[in-house]
Amino acid sequence: MQKDFPLIALRRAEKIAPLSLEDYESTNGFVALKKALRESPVSVQEQIKKSGLRGRGGAGFPTGTKQHFTSSSSSDSHTKYVVCNADEGEPGTFKDKKIMETDPFALIEGMLIAAYAIGSNYGFVYIRGEYYSSIQNIQNAIDIAYKKNYLGKNILGTGFNFEMSIFLGAGSYLCGEELTLLESLEGKRGYPRIKPPFPAEKGLWGKPTLVNNVETFVHIPFIIEHGSERYARIGTKESKGTKLFCVSGPVKKTGVFELPMGITLKELIENVCGGMKNDKIFKGALIGGAAGTFVDSSFWDTPLAFETLKEKGATLGSGAVIVIDEDSCLYTLMASILSFFKHESCGKCVPCRVGCKILHDTCTRQSINEESLMFMQNQATYMAQTSLCPLGQSPVLPLTTFIKFFKNSL
Amino acid sequence: MSKLVAIEIDGKKIEAPEGAVLLQVAKEHGFDIPSLCFHKRLSPTGACRLCVVKVEQMPGLVMSCAVNIKAGMRVTAYDEELQTNRRHTLAYLLAEHNEAYDNSYEDEMRPLLERYNLINPDQRPFGSLWENIPRVIDDSSPVLTYDSSKCIRCFRCIKACDEIQGKGVLSFADRGITKYISAGYGSWKNSECDGCGECIQLCPTGAIVEKPFRGLINVKEADNTTITTCPYCGVGCQMKVFVQDNTVMRIDGFDEVSPNYGRLCVKGRFGYQYANHEKRLTKPLIKKHGQFHEATWDEALDYAAQKLSDVKKKYGNMALAGLSSAKCSNEENYLFQKFIRLVFENNNVDYCTRLCHASTVTAMLKSFGDGAGSNSIEDFETTDCLLVTGNNIIETHPVTATFVKRGKAKGQKIILIDPKWTPLVNHADVWLQPKLATDVALLNGMIRVIIEQKWYDEDFINKRVEGGMEAFDALKKLTDKYTLPYTSEITGVNPQKIFDAARIYATAETAMIATGMGMSQQTVGTNNVFSLINMCLVTGQIGKERCGINPPRGQNNVQGATDVGASPKNYPGYIPIADEANRKRIAELWEVEFEKLHYKPGLTTIEIMNHAHEGGIKAMYIMGENPVITDPNQTHTIEALEKLDFLVVQDLFLTETAAYADVVFPAASLFEKEGTVVNSDRRVLRIRQAIQPPGQARQDWEITIELAKRMGADIGTYESPEDIFNEIALAAPIFGGITYDRINFQGIQWPCYDANHPGTSTLFLDKFNTPDGKAKIIPVDYKDQSEKPHSDFPLVLNSGRILYQYHSATLSRKSPLLNAYANNHYVIINPIDAKKFAIDDGDNVKITSPRGSLKTIARIRDEVLPGELFMPWHYSEAPVNILTRNEMDPMSKIAPFKYSVVKIERI
Amino acid sequence: MQKELSTKTINSILEKYEPQRHNIIKALHSLQDAHPLHYISNSILDAVSSFFNITKAETYGIVTYYSMFSIKPRGYHIIRLCQSPVCSMLNIKDLLNHLADRWQLKPGITTEDSMFTLETVECLGACDNAPAMMVNEQLYTELSKARIDEILTHLKEAYHKNL
Repeated sequence: MQKDFPLIALRRAEKIAPLSLEDYESTNGFVALKKALRESPVSVQEQIKKSGLRGRGGAGFPTGTKQHFTSSSSSDSHTKYVVCNADEGEPGTFKDKKIMETDPFALIEGMLIAAYAIGSNYGFVYIRGEYYSSIQNIQNAIDIAYKKNYLGKNILGTGFNFEMSIFLGAGSYLCGEELTLLESLEGKRGYPRIKPPFPAEKGLWGKPTLVNNVETFVHIPFIIEHGSERYARIGTKESKGTKLFCVSGPVKKTGVFELPMGITLKELIENVCGGMKNDKIFKGALIGGAAGTFVDSSFWDTPLAFETLKEKGATLGSGAVIVIDEDSCLYTLMASILSFFKHESCGKCVPCRVGCKILHDTCTRQSINEESLMFMQNQATYMAQTSLCPLGQSPVLPLTTFIKFFKNSL
Repeated sequence: MSKLVAIEIDGKKIEAPEGAVLLQVAKEHGFDIPSLCFHKRLSPTGACRLCVVKVEQMPGLVMSCAVNIKAGMRVTAYDEELQTNRRHTLAYLLAEHNEAYDNSYEDEMRPLLERYNLINPDQRPFGSLWENIPRVIDDSSPVLTYDSSKCIRCFRCIKACDEIQGKGVLSFADRGITKYISAGYGSWKNSECDGCGECIQLCPTGAIVEKPFRGLINVKEADNTTITTCPYCGVGCQMKVFVQDNTVMRIDGFDEVSPNYGRLCVKGRFGYQYANHEKRLTKPLIKKHGQFHEATWDEALDYAAQKLSDVKKKYGNMALAGLSSAKCSNEENYLFQKFIRLVFENNNVDYCTRLCHASTVTAMLKSFGDGAGSNSIEDFETTDCLLVTGNNIIETHPVTATFVKRGKAKGQKIILIDPKWTPLVNHADVWLQPKLATDVALLNGMIRVIIEQKWYDEDFINKRVEGGMEAFDALKKLTDKYTLPYTSEITGVNPQKIFDAARIYATAETAMIATGMGMSQQTVGTNNVFSLINMCLVTGQIGKERCGINPPRGQNNVQGATDVGASPKNYPGYIPIADEANRKRIAELWEVEFEKLHYKPGLTTIEIMNHAHEGGIKAMYIMGENPVITDPNQTHTIEALEKLDFLVVQDLFLTETAAYADVVFPAASLFEKEGTVVNSDRRVLRIRQAIQPPGQARQDWEITIELAKRMGADIGTYESPEDIFNEIALAAPIFGGITYDRINFQGIQWPCYDANHPGTSTLFLDKFNTPDGKAKIIPVDYKDQSEKPHSDFPLVLNSGRILYQYHSATLSRKSPLLNAYANNHYVIINPIDAKKFAIDDGDNVKITSPRGSLKTIARIRDEVLPGELFMPWHYSEAPVNILTRNEMDPMSKIAPFKYSVVKIERI
Repeated sequence: MQKELSTKTINSILEKYEPQRHNIIKALHSLQDAHPLHYISNSILDAVSSFFNITKAETYGIVTYYSMFSIKPRGYHIIRLCQSPVCSMLNIKDLLNHLADRWQLKPGITTEDSMFTLETVECLGACDNAPAMMVNEQLYTELSKARIDEILTHLKEAYHKNL
């Protein structure tokens, strides 16, 4: 494990009063913003690109490239939006909540810099409706930032304007999907849009829109403050920086941990989480949440990074690590995942709407055996090929990996 | 049109417009890729996932409805993987679908099930799921039923309502597998649904079905399907009529062509019951001793001919008059006016257009040289700004309004001027609510703003207006006193709104006006329209594409009837009678002595009644008109009819007017005849026979010819309506190039001068139809009303139409479905007045004017201003025209249906 | 207890927002929170549709799509029990059974005295301290039957005190 790494997303967690602007400023808060505003937007974008930062929401798309697409969109409109996806709903994931509760100004600063980089003057934070304390915190932080002219017109006398407000989710996992989030933000039912066009081209109200996850945004001030090279020294070849891992299940110490990309499961569980609870045997984990993949002990030494997991047919996803030991009821786990998808399918497209029901029915009504597992895998594979949005494409990931690793231990 | 690019589908080379939807292009080239949620009239949805294809350079399977054509695209439409995938999707759909089918609708799913070998339950990979999904049935609408078990959640109904009709009344409720279609809060009846049925027409699986003839209609065994023109308003919607056992059982929009592209409104789709109604006249009737007796055609025709001839002999030819009909075809109206001119030997022929857009036509003829709408219906969608004045367009021209709402969705600005709330208020950028009959002041105020702000178009005025800037200066001088405060004082409209309306209209890239009865039906109706024209001319918002003035017409053939000469002043094609050369030309065509054609213009509608009342007119021939309900001052009208020596009425029903007739001829309805009509945008459209007339009812044109014969006159020999039309084309140059063959599929907009002329979508592009080719500015001043509210009659009554009933309701009230929506008369009163006169919502009230009184029910709404009332005039049991007056606009001879002083009392 | 939100209150809440469509979810949250029975009543649906100038079905479609909104009256305390995969593995079923047996609470049902409504909810993001539930805006973690009894007893007292 890389020893020499700075905390980024959690650098102020539990160290400052989250809503104290003085605390924030005295811990280098808004230093990056001030620096960025002295540079050209293109130069800011370049630094993000060079840092190798990839989206922390799950898909891992290069953030700098996304910024570039949004700022150079062929749209004839000058209006662009920055949207923060704080609709954290992936089961097993609770990292964005942690950031919003402990360092809200960092999110504002990250969004400000991103907005400056792409030439946007409007930002929205779409926060999951059940995250009451995050909503309160971000709203208060925004109010304070307005008072101190970190938001609003002519920010810090630089001529840069940025208006920011929050929007609330209301109980729909699918709204965490970026295009669906925009539909919801516009005040509609959460239906996914046909892709392309991507948000960078046609997003909120048809205008170019940069959508990033909370964790992604809070990495930006660090990169600007310390330089892209410093940032790029953390992590692996294709996964730079640190990552928040949300560890739950039968380990001694659960919680959100900020660690360099590329840490292995072994290091995570043994060194960070203090090992398995009751000294049970590690059987595997569900990485990335319900839309993630199962791994077994053969992944014990696999670095947790986008490319290394991909190589082995797994995914890092949101950074959720749900640990399974020899006593965990795998059937309950699978049924819960399938019930989740059925509940969250919006029903717009046929494969997902009907498929999620068929999967759940099969899992709960019939005995789970090789035949029903294969049937479910076939359905999930078809769904992945044919569904409109990532939700219908997701069940195949846990199902296939479940079958691959645990078929015989049911 | 975007450029054509080459693509390849399954190896076949195809040229297709760049950017077009791949699925549509594939279908057009014979690749029948399965699809259910896609409809060519809707934006792609991507919900059913059946239309998967493979496209080179695109990963995985892609939905062909979501792919736009790009040059060089190589597409695989069929291979084993795709077919397997499609079958899988179809099997999923089938699992959640209740496939019970009763032959009453076109099921788009069944053919696919056959194609993919899923008809037989043994061949299906999944069991049925739908019994385990909560089933929602909404049977509350008067016209349709929704059953979620048959619904495949394809969005077509939602999009039909939203994208096509601009109503957005439908949505999904819930999500995932349990979601279902909801109107309102889960009840169609209590929703904003107005029953247009677009959702029914676009539903692919019979989840939304219409109520009438359920269980009886069998689409496979329907005797025939006829394309014809809607019998209701002047939009001219093309419809597909299903007939079983000589009964009209269903009507769908015909989705290929203008003007409606498949859309219909509730009247068009569900108002057909009158055709097969039991009260249809089936035999001629002769009145003896105050009682009607059935008679043979010979008896009735001979009797009528004899009596009309007697009157002519006794009182002279000027004692006869005829009312033609906006509901009859061009051919029938043409023959009717020919009958009046050759058999009665005068020009006393008019019809309800006189009570409709006469003011508009009069003003437009004078200023532009043409009285018809300058634009096409499609322009209502594409113009940048639409000013709607005195026109409840959503209710009275529902399909035209769909274009407006679609335009609005794309950013069109809408200015609404109306003293009464109409549904368009919800779509308008600005709503000016002037006091009744203050339109000239309001428009002059707007013109003054435009002049002051220099928003006028000097170049246009110089080039296209007679007198150029001199004429402009005269207008400027006259409107100078209409300052914002002064205008606001007269009209009661907030000055800022007047300013905003003027700005939006004048500064729009293109702007169109839709004017209606509110402007026209006043004693200053013609002046109102002159003001409107003046504003149009100073801003140059006419004479180019998507600009102009349009009077959406109320009746299916109110445009055509005047076009073909049902006019006391003009021969077919707006050729003035007063001109000797014209009379000579017509005499030659009709092969009669020139002297036989009377040189003097005839009487207009109200003048005919007034003369009858005074004794100058002694006999009348009325074809398909119901003046007892439609003319002003009903008591006066009835007295006039009673004073006649002889009255012949030709109609479908024993109408309120027919009751006063001496002879009644049973006529064929529009569903029973061949011919043509002209719609609001001057489009000559075919009507076609779908059913046989009931009993001995005959075609109007045949009756007219027979009557002429028996009066010893020959008005021509015709084999068919087409024969008559060919003569119209000779008589009226604007129809010169139109033949039945040319309009077999798609109508043509007049003027169309010869066989090679494509018709005219926008008038006045090069010049106006005046002798010097220029338009006239005719400055007009605001005039106070001669009748004003006072202590005895403290309120002003406005009248108008509603969506669900039509004109005198002879046709619409035969439909139980339309009646289910609106079968009750009422008066709308402002809450302030209601309080003042101690009236509660729902109270029985008596309304009295200096002419008469009626009883109705009060509805308290802030839709009208204090001091004003509104009543729909369709209901004969509360006939608004008992209250109106037969005073006339001096120029257009229209009556002020929109302004009667009244009092209201609770009873 | 009051059963409906007055028109005046509804309008005063709505007036805090610009009548633009994107504010609708926020407005619905505020109205539902303000409603004594924590639900979107027909009066709210009517007021919201007319305030945002959208059709009834559109409003209804939004309300019924999002699981945090209810069109049925709910109790004073809304208990949302997390059924995420992590919580599920820690025998949420036992807790559900306990709630049914000891407290007569079943998912989707409101007690007759309108004190409690039990709902299940997707991951509350408290997996590190699972199992978890939320009562109105308060999060409770590391649940056990005993802890649930303790919490609900306390809530019951709070409810009666409030009356």
